Amino acid sequence: MYSQYRVYYPYVSPFDPCPPQRVKTYVVPPQLFIHFQPPNLPQFSPREALFHGTLWPELYSPYEGRGDRSEGRRKK
Amino acid sequence: MNEPKPVDERYYQLLHQLQALDFVLVELTLYLDTHSNDADALQQFNQISEERWKVACEFEASYGPLLQFGLSFSGYPWQWNDTPWPWQV
Repeated sequence: MYSQYRVYYPYVSPFDPCPPQRVKTYVVPPQLFIHFQPPNLPQFSPREALFHGTLWPELYSPYEGRGDRSEGRRKK
Repeated sequence: MNEPKPVDERYYQLLHQLQALDFVLVELTLYLDTHSNDADALQQFNQISEERWKVACEFEASYGPLLQFGLSFSGYPWQWNDTPWPWQV
């Protein structure tokens, strides 16, 4: 499974008022890569679907929160 | 009036099961909107909605109506304004 995050590096100017954020991330969920959902995809059980937020594992897009992704965001 | 007793574990189990089934029905509804000739999904949708109907009836038989305005039956006396209210569950 490929990672669902991509990074980009904003321009940092010497006159930036705030501490620079060198790395920023954005989410690329699976539905961007599926043109039209094929039928009969494997499914979660009802309970799992409720917890994952989708019925099909292939469309699952987790949110891991901010802390672990980019060092630019966390205040040391 | 005696102090209302808290509901038992089965109440939450049934509600949780109902919630899971409802979510699956929502997903299947959205899927079927764009895949109207997918027979398997339609068959699954009908089967799960029937299953949901059973769970709802089982819940309402012991804990009172889930919906109002005729969408659910109520026992005697009128159970609609009994505790727990939705935010107390």
